[in-house]
This record gives sequence, C-alpha cells and structure tokens, in this order.
Amino acid sequence: MSDVGAAGAAGDIPGRAVGPPSKRRRVADDGNDTDPSTSRYASRERRDSPAAEVDERHSHDLSIRRGPKPSLSPRPGSDIRGKNKPDNTHYRGSNSQTSSPPSRSRSHSSQRQRLYSRSNSRSRSRRGSRTPGSDGSRSRSRSRSRAPFDSRSQSQTRSRTSSSRRHRDRTSRSPTTHTQKRKPDYQPHLRLTGHGAAVSQVRISPDGRWLASASADGTAKIWDAETGEHMDTLVGHMAGVSCLAWAPDGDSLATGGDDKAIRLWDRVTASPAHAVGEGAGRGEDSGYGTMRRRVNGGILRPGTGAGSGKGARGTRNGRGPLLGHHNYVYCLAFSPKGNILASGSYDEAVFLWDVRAGRLMRSLPAHSDPVSGIGFSRDGTLVASCSTDGLIRIWDTSTGQCLRTLVHEDNPAVTNVCFSPNGRFVLAFNLDNSIRMWDYVSGSVKKTYQGHKNSGFSIGGSFGVLGDARNGDENPTAARNRGDAFVASASEDGDIVMWDVKSKEIVQRIPRAHKGVCFWVDVNGDIMASAGQDRIINVFKNQPASKRKAFTGINEADTNGFGGQGEDSVTPYEGAADDELQRQVEAGVATPPVKQEHIKEEQL
Amino acid sequence: MNLLLSDDYLLQDYPEHITNTIRSGHSTCVRFNRKGDYLASGRVDGTVVIWDLETMGVARKLRGHSKNISSLSWSRCGRYLLSACQGWRAILWDLKDGKRYREVRFRAPVYGAELHPWNHHLFTVALFEEQPLLVDVTEPAAVRYVLPSVPKRLNVETDAALKEKHAKEDARHMTTAIVWTATGDHILAGTNKGRLNIIDARTREIIYFEKICGGIVTTLRLTEFGKELLVNAQDRIIRTFHIPNLSAPDLDFDTIQIPLEHKFQDVVNRLSWNHVAFSATGEYVAASTYNNHELYIWERGHGSLVRMLEGPKEEQGVIEWHPHKALLAACGLETGRINIWSVTSPQKWSALAPDFDEVEENVEYIEKEDEFDIHPQEEIQKRRLDQEDEDIDVLAVGGSEDENDEFRMPILFNLGDSDSEEEFVNVSLGTLRRKSPGDQDDGEEAAAEERGGSKKPLGGGGRGRGKKK
Repeated sequence: MSDVGAAGAAGDIPGRAVGPPSKRRRVADDGNDTDPSTSRYASRERRDSPAAEVDERHSHDLSIRRGPKPSLSPRPGSDIRGKNKPDNTHYRGSNSQTSSPPSRSRSHSSQRQRLYSRSNSRSRSRRGSRTPGSDGSRSRSRSRSRAPFDSRSQSQTRSRTSSSRRHRDRTSRSPTTHTQKRKPDYQPHLRLTGHGAAVSQVRISPDGRWLASASADGTAKIWDAETGEHMDTLVGHMAGVSCLAWAPDGDSLATGGDDKAIRLWDRVTASPAHAVGEGAGRGEDSGYGTMRRRVNGGILRPGTGAGSGKGARGTRNGRGPLLGHHNYVYCLAFSPKGNILASGSYDEAVFLWDVRAGRLMRSLPAHSDPVSGIGFSRDGTLVASCSTDGLIRIWDTSTGQCLRTLVHEDNPAVTNVCFSPNGRFVLAFNLDNSIRMWDYVSGSVKKTYQGHKNSGFSIGGSFGVLGDARNGDENPTAARNRGDAFVASASEDGDIVMWDVKSKEIVQRIPRAHKGVCFWVDVNGDIMASAGQDRIINVFKNQPASKRKAFTGINEADTNGFGGQGEDSVTPYEGAADDELQRQVEAGVATPPVKQEHIKEEQL
Repeated sequence: MNLLLSDDYLLQDYPEHITNTIRSGHSTCVRFNRKGDYLASGRVDGTVVIWDLETMGVARKLRGHSKNISSLSWSRCGRYLLSACQGWRAILWDLKDGKRYREVRFRAPVYGAELHPWNHHLFTVALFEEQPLLVDVTEPAAVRYVLPSVPKRLNVETDAALKEKHAKEDARHMTTAIVWTATGDHILAGTNKGRLNIIDARTREIIYFEKICGGIVTTLRLTEFGKELLVNAQDRIIRTFHIPNLSAPDLDFDTIQIPLEHKFQDVVNRLSWNHVAFSATGEYVAASTYNNHELYIWERGHGSLVRMLEGPKEEQGVIEWHPHKALLAACGLETGRINIWSVTSPQKWSALAPDFDEVEENVEYIEKEDEFDIHPQEEIQKRRLDQEDEDIDVLAVGGSEDENDEFRMPILFNLGDSDSEEEFVNVSLGTLRRKSPGDQDDGEEAAAEERGGSKKPLGGGGRGRGKKK
C-alpha cells in the first residue's frame, strides 16, 4: 500500500509531472486545488512587489525536482490551470478531470517531505556554507537553489519584464549579424492535445516518424510526428509517468513512472513488450498482473475505439514491468544497441537493465540525491548520470565503475544530462538558469548557455543539427553529417530557446510555446517537439532557409502568445488535430472517474 | 569512448582470473564475432545460442541442428553465422530474423566450417573421412567444389601399378582443419598426415604444401591480419608460423616459405592440447589442456609461458580469445558451461570525488597566490563565461566511419518463451531444479554471480578463484 501511496505523488511531482492528480491519490478533499492556484496567480500579477517575489521563489523551490507538489503553497502549474480554465475550451475535458483530484496533492506532499528531509540533512552537512532555506520543512532542494536565486532575484524580476523583450530583439537582430550561419527556424506545425495532465517528456523516435509523450496522468501516448495522429495510449502505470525512452530501432519504448516501475512497450501493438516475469516469481507476478488488469479493465483508452481491447492485451500473462527501484523512476535511456536500459530514480541509484531478459544487470550507487537525468554515449560504453546533488558522473557501462565526476564550483543541482552527438561532451541542465557543456575528459566547462529560465523544474532539451535531414541528437548517424549544431532547451516561462553551440548566442527563441512551464524539448532533424505543463505537445518544423521570414516575437509575451498564434495561424493540421483532440477529450472525460474509483478500491 | 577516461591500457593484456560463467545447455564450442560484442555458442543438442557480452544474457537462440555443433563462424558484418554440426549439415543463419538463410547437407560429419572473410556466401568445410569442400551458397542451391588434400602429381606415371599406389596413398590424406587467409584468396588446410596445404581459392589447386608436424593437425588459426599461423597437432606441440603475403602479385609458388616461429609444449608432463587460440593482437597464445584444468598462456615474443589460468575444476574444451580485449572464453567439457576469464580494473576512488587525487606519497601543497582571494560573485561568473571561448565540435566523430551501416542485432523480448526444458540450474549441492522458462537468464546470471564470489563450493567445483571486483 505504501508504495501505491507514494505513487500517488506522481501527479504532483512538479517537474515533469505536474499536474493533475493522479488517479491514485488518496482522496482527501476536493476543494483545495483552486485555492492555491488563485493565490499563485495573484502572486504572479504582483510580481514586482518583493513579497510576491518571495512567494514565487518558494513555489519554484518546491517544485524543484518535481518535488512534491506543494499542496501547501501554490504551484505554478495550478495557477496556470486556474487562469486558463475559463477561456480555453480545449481544456474543458481535462479540467473536469483534474479538478476532482486535488486531494491527492496533500497526502502526497507529506511523503515527499519525508524524502526530502532525509537527504536534506545530508546535503546540508556537505556544504556547510550554504544556508538552509528559511523554511525547514521545505528542505534542501530549496537551500541548494537558493543561493543562485538570491543573487539573481533582482535580475529576475527585471528579466520578466524587460529581458524577454531584449531577447526578442536579439533574436530578430541576429540574422543580420550572422547571416553566414545556418540558423534554426522552427515554426509551429502541430499541436497535440489529449493528455489529462502535464506532459513530462516528449521524445521523437530515432527515425523521426513518431512522437512519444509521457504524462502525469499515468499514460504515455504515441503520435505520428508528421500528421499528429494519435496512434496509441499506453496504459499500465499506476502513477504519473515521468520519463520515457525510445529503443534505437524505434519499435519499442520504455516508460518509467512514479509507481517505481519501468515498462517496455511495443510501439506497434501498444502492448507490453516484455516477457519478464513469466515464470519468475509467480506470486509476485500475478499480483502485478491483477493490478494492471483492474486498471486496464476500468479504463477505456480515450480516442481509440479498440482501446479497451488493446489495453486488455496488455494483461497477457507474464508481461510484467521492470521492478527494482525503491522510488520513483525519473529518467531512462537506451544504449545505442538497445540491449541495455539505464534508469535513474529517486532512490538515488542508477540501474542498468538487460532489456531482453528484463533483468537487473547492475545497480550503481550513483548519487546522494534523486537521479534526475541519464544518458548514453554514442558508442554505448559510457553512461552519464546527474543528480540534484550537483554531480554528474560518468560510468563505464561494462564494468559499472565511475570513471569521472563533474562538479561545478557553485554546485547547482543538475536536472538533466545528455551526451553530445559525438560523445565528447556532456550537456548538463542546471537549476541556476544555465546549461553547461562539459568536456568530461578534462573535467571543465566549455560553454555555458543562458537566457532561459530554469530554477525549479527538471526541464530537458537536446542537441539539434541543422543541415541534415533526419537525425537528431541521439542518433549517431547525425554526427556524421556535418552541420551546425545547436542546443535546444525548454524554459520555465514556457519558451523554447535554442543556442548556437559554439558562440553561445541564442539563435531562436519560441516565446510562450506553452502556458506554464515547458518541460521538455526534443529535436530530431527538422522536427522539434515540446511538452509542457499545459498538457499540450507542440511540434515544430524547421523552415528551409529560403522560405524564412524574419522572426518576430509574438504579440504579447506574457499572455499566451503562442497559444494565440497556434489558434490563429492555421497550420494545415491544426484543425484536424483539434477535432481529434476534442473527440479524445470527450471520450476521455467519461473514463477518469471510473479510473479513480478503481484505484480507490485498490487502495482500500 | 570510455578509453578516454580509463587507465585500462595499464592493465595487463592477458586475462587474470575467471569473471563470469554463463550457461545455456551444454556448450561445446564458442566463437566471438568480429566486433567482440557477441559470442556464439553451440550446444550438444544442436542449438546455437548468441550471447550478448555486454549484458551476459542470451540474445538469440537458433534451432535447426539436431547434433552436437562442431564449429561456428561469423561473417564480417556480424549478421550471418555459419554453424556446422556432426549431423552432416551446415546452416548459415541470418541473425536479423533468426532464420536459416542457407542450409547445406554433406555426406559426412563436419569437422569445421569457415566463412570467407569477406563474402558470406562462400565457405569451406573440412569433413570427416571426406575431401574438404568449397561451398558457394550465393544461390539457395549450394554449389560444392571439392578441394584436394594432396597436390596433383606432376609427372604423369605410365605405370599403372605405381599410379594405383599413389592414388591409394593420396586417398589416405584427409583434411582435418581448414581456414581462409585474411584476404580470402587462399585456403590453408591441415591434414591428418601433418601437412599444411595452401590452396588457391580460385583455381582450387594446392600451390604449396609442407609437412609441418608429426600428427594429425587438429586446429589451424590465424591472427586477424593473417601474418601468423597457429597450429595444434596431435603430437602435443603447438606451433606458430609466419605466413608470407600470399596475395602479393609477384608471388612465386616455388619460393614460398612458412618459417616456424615457436613450439610450445609441456616437456615435463607431455600434455596434449585440446584447443588453441591467438590473443587479440597475436601476442599471446592460449591453450586448453587435455585431462587437465588449467589454461596455458604463452607470450610469443620470447616463447615463454606467462600464465596458467585456473578456473573451475574442469577440463576446458574450445577456447576463444576476445577480438580486442584481454578476455578468454572456454567451454567446460563436463558441465558445458562457458567460463570467461578477464581482467578487472580497480575502481579509481578519485573518480568519485573530483577534488581528490590519488597520490603515491604525500605531496606538499603549494597554495596559489590568488587561491583564497575573494571576488564578487558576478565577477567570477563573468570571468568564467569569458573563458569559454574555445571552439568545440560536438558533431565530428574521430575514427572509423563504418559503424553506420553495421548490422544491429534485433532485441528480442520473447527469449523466455522459446526456451526448452533441458536447462537446469544448480541451486545447491546435489539438487537440480528445472528452470522455469522465464527465468532462464536469471539462472545464468546467478551462475555467473556464484562464480564471482568465492564461497561457492558446488557443482563444477569452481573455486571462484578471482574475486569479481
């Protein structure tokens, strides 16, 4: 039971999984949700007043590491939701769903706190100089990010108002200054809705044909990257899904969630791909099987007529998840050959799994805080992991030994890490509003990219390469085609920011791609996908240089600029996607209550 | 890529102790693919199992033979695997789908079959009591060419009796071992009379022969570049030879010389050798011993014995050296387990804490002039950013470009389903539990684990000599 409870936290986890309450949370009281949101909202408006500033900071801190969503204090996600609700019809369906759940956040946070407090003491002792957050319960995550915050708080307020304008200026100006350079020009292409909660990650399949998204609503969805068609919904996790990874062949994918399980899925059948557990510990297995069955039985997968049938296939005997982590699974990566899956978890360990057998191969006692990001080098011999303890570790896949540890002097929490396409550098996303490129051999920072906002959430990004058609960061073939590389990252203000790797200049900024936090950006050739707190997945396409028009900022930055554009600018698929969306949402509306019922039953 | 960070080059380049034991059925022969990430093993029941060395798990099982697998050979790309069994049959597998790509039947059990180093549609076989064949499987119907075991007599005898005698003599020559040279232009064949034949693959005629040893040639092996030849024969002596470049355009058959380099033997115990292997670079020669548990490793520079590897108390059969690591795989004859010896590097503790350095002795630390100066945060930050002016390239990949189109083994999830029931795992002394199909790999890993820890007293009698870490 206890784990289920913990899993409930899922929805709350701010980072990627903020959102609506997951089905599993114990129902406490319903009315809560709205309050924080409104207050939060208020704080936003008053941002320039110092008091508001403080509030904001708190909420950010809370959300760090997607932590427990602060039922206590307003979280950014909730306010946004509150704000938008009235005016956005798209959200209607999902909103109704979400409003009921509020209760969970509360039970949840207590759990989270426990978790934090433990690590808290540790981290504090380590870094004596750091002052712990004023609010003890809020823990170390706060204290860590605090220092940078304080120093920066001034500039931050400024940046909200003026800097965004400044950035816009810069981007629009830059074409003239660097005309010789190829610059990305990603323009909205599709807008995918259907998730019932914040979307924590979206990833493009290695061949660029599919998108997979993981959401706090406990499902993952597969989409056609070209048409935006919703292909399948992967139902099975008992809590929010925080991470996913495509197998290199693009035929299967792995998802990891707050139910501590990792699931492997077949892309084509949308059923669990794994033969694990088929004999192994029958008792255990049947236990999971029934749980799953109940969930599947209770849920009609939204949007597809055959949904329930397909879901039921997932219950086939012996297709079990990979179990072993003692806490939320937070990040996943496949080796380039697809034979090894690396997972990082809130239990502070990195596990290497034998994908074929579904067997835990190696467990690396990696960090002293939740492992927030993980990545494989292109030849599969190295694994990089990072954690909110501020360390990036490079591991030898074959021996499980740590080969290198990278720490920045300021020791900012690291929330995501990936190797450069050629495997020579490591890109680390820090919670001090910086992305750093490390040369892991010399152990030094080569580049620092700034200009986005990242102080509380685990947001993600990736390398992108201009000049070749298909390949993105994780595909080693991209490395062969010489082109201009850029770094794309999500930002907590909903923007998507792209920097030139060498000059560190911002080469494109897509303002307000999401309402609320944009959690994840993935680039694969000319396609870019982003996911956000607003439950939406945006797909962008790079425009060939010839057709490019000067990029100007969109109307009003602070009010859903992108949203407005998305609705107005008629991208060809927009209408279709919306319709489908709508259908899905409507279909989905009916089901969630059922889902919750079931879960409640189980818990009791 | 990990080489950039590791000190592994400091490690010795031959294996030290046993690090893994993997098992699926009773393996009788093993072979690494060219890249060294997969190991094929042939079992007594005719199943071929492909192991993933990174996970030490089964990557594929190929069923098609019904008898003991006698030899395995990988294509250069790693996609095709030729297996030959004592059931008079060779199968060329396509590992992409796990199907039989070609299947060839012979009129006798197969000693060994080897694929052409560049063309996976061509292979040679040495057969029991039959002349060796060159088989072309470009078309589904295989074309067989008989290869000679003795050179053609030049002077055509008129005397019928003498002719007959010669014919009889020649018929007693059988090829017992056969390999391709590195270029694939020639075939080296060893006979039961201790002769080495060099056969031109195009004309299929013997261009050179020499008696190189006193007994039946049991194994022929070449280094990767084909410059050295390793011969195991029943006269209990392992020999290494230098092979001239047979593909040189100005090659004169009459001047070919195959100079003997070393003879390795155990003069005291008069051991005979089950199987031999070159190390990755050819620097070392390893051999498994008949009726004895040790593996011997000689170094080729001076021809001295450098190491006797002990492992489980079991005679080892076929041994294979990893194509680029200091790693040896050997099949236990009794249990059919595959034992793997290698070297393990110790964890460098300084890697875990970047502020620390591992030093041999105390070092006087001299503080830098400005080390403890206090600068405003912004200034430090600014200085740091300014220093990041280095040009970096995140795309260019140094080195080989050929990996791109390389074959990638599909990842199968249903290995458990296809498992048969002949797999057992020892759980404790004297008890055998039938493995349930699903946990096959766990079982195998369990076996491996046991071996690592030194506590294990049981089956196979492993002493667990080397600690795993």
